Amino acid sequence: MGRRLFLHNGSDNVAVALENLKAGDVVEVKVREKTYKIELREDIPYGHKVAIRDIERGSKIIKYGEVIGVATEDIAVGSHVHIHNIKSLRY
Amino acid sequence: MEFYGYAREDGTVGVRNHVALISVDALANRTVEGISKLVKNTVPITHPYGRLQFGEDLDLTFRTLIGTGSNPNVAAALIVGLEPSWTSIVAEGVSRSKKPVESVTIIGNGDHKALEKGARIAQRMVSEASEIRREPFHLSNIVVSIKCGASDTTSGMASNPAVGRAVDRIIDEGGTVIFGETSELAGAEHILARRAVNEEVREAFLKTVKDYIDFAVSKGVDILGSQPTAENIAGGLSTIEEKALGNIQKTGTKPIQGVLKPAERPKGRGLWFMDTSASAQEAVTLFAAAGAVVHLFPTGQGNVVGHPIEPVIKITANEITAERMPENIDVDVSDILRGKMSYDEAGELILDALLKTASGKLPSAEILGHNEFALTRFWKSM
Repeated sequence: MGRRLFLHNGSDNVAVALENLKAGDVVEVKVREKTYKIELREDIPYGHKVAIRDIERGSKIIKYGEVIGVATEDIAVGSHVHIHNIKSLRY
Repeated sequence: MEFYGYAREDGTVGVRNHVALISVDALANRTVEGISKLVKNTVPITHPYGRLQFGEDLDLTFRTLIGTGSNPNVAAALIVGLEPSWTSIVAEGVSRSKKPVESVTIIGNGDHKALEKGARIAQRMVSEASEIRREPFHLSNIVVSIKCGASDTTSGMASNPAVGRAVDRIIDEGGTVIFGETSELAGAEHILARRAVNEEVREAFLKTVKDYIDFAVSKGVDILGSQPTAENIAGGLSTIEEKALGNIQKTGTKPIQGVLKPAERPKGRGLWFMDTSASAQEAVTLFAAAGAVVHLFPTGQGNVVGHPIEPVIKITANEITAERMPENIDVDVSDILRGKMSYDEAGELILDALLKTASGKLPSAEILGHNEFALTRFWKSM
């Protein structure tokens, strides 16, 4: 099986699903040459983001090595990260 | 790193050797089309405007027409207009590039005589241009433009970062790259601004994006609040920062040398920002008018844009687009998403396509005859 999660940058705390992933799936993500296994807590549709580590409420969401928003609640590793639990810092 | 191009009198290097027939106004389009039917190897450049424009809006039309005629991909230009006053402004503008330029006006000649005069001039220009030979040039002589379109998830993940790698390589070699799409940068402008070469450029860049956002607000459109769109959200984008970051991946990592007005030539080498629309045909038209000779166009869903004188190379990382629209895609980098290709390898593929295109290989948009030329308008005519 090919790669199922895509990580843009080694400092990111979210990765992108390369296919429709199901809750309970165990997927691998390579961060700075080390491979981690993540058990998904929720379904993650293609192109959507999953937390690759625990993210506390109020802390920054990092993708492309840059801040794309802030967590509006505690987000556990393996959770779907989207408009229900993050918001823009610009608007 | 070399390509085979055409040396121009003003020191620039072209990758095509077109004889351009340029309409000053819409009323000259029939004559320009007629000449292009009579004389092979001419490129008609027509548009719906050019009468009773004024102020900055007219300046931009002149700058775009003059810039197009002056582009290094043009060997010689014939300017055709209804009347002599504006026709001579465009012809004199193009003559500053030191290439052969002549003009024909319709008032006083009528359509038939203007067509005959124009055709005789165009035939001589084609004959003379056909003697110019390609010569080897270092990549530092190239001016490339970049803009994505019909973007999707695969653009931000793969095709845009791959183009960004190619852009970094072009600039490392001493080349020049222009990017634009002011509206699409909103949300990530603070990130791009960090790459401004100095404080003056940083402020000019931020002001350009802010002015655009304010303009939209003054027209009742909230750019920041309406992004990402419902379609983007369904695709997985959560914030405007995230959307804009996907777009700017294609700009690579090099410093931004300056802010250009629409259709304004870069004042040196390196990476330049131009204030443009995100509309593919308008942006490419402005880049070509600024002297860009090849365009790199990453696409997700498959935008098919081309330009009459600037070849456009299509790059996709969407395997479905590559499979269903093969005639519109030049470089397939979908292996990035299969973990079989690195960004650097994809960047090399794009650079290879660029060098081949610059040396004469026809990309899909050119073979299919995509010749979209769209003037940007600031306001309505008098």
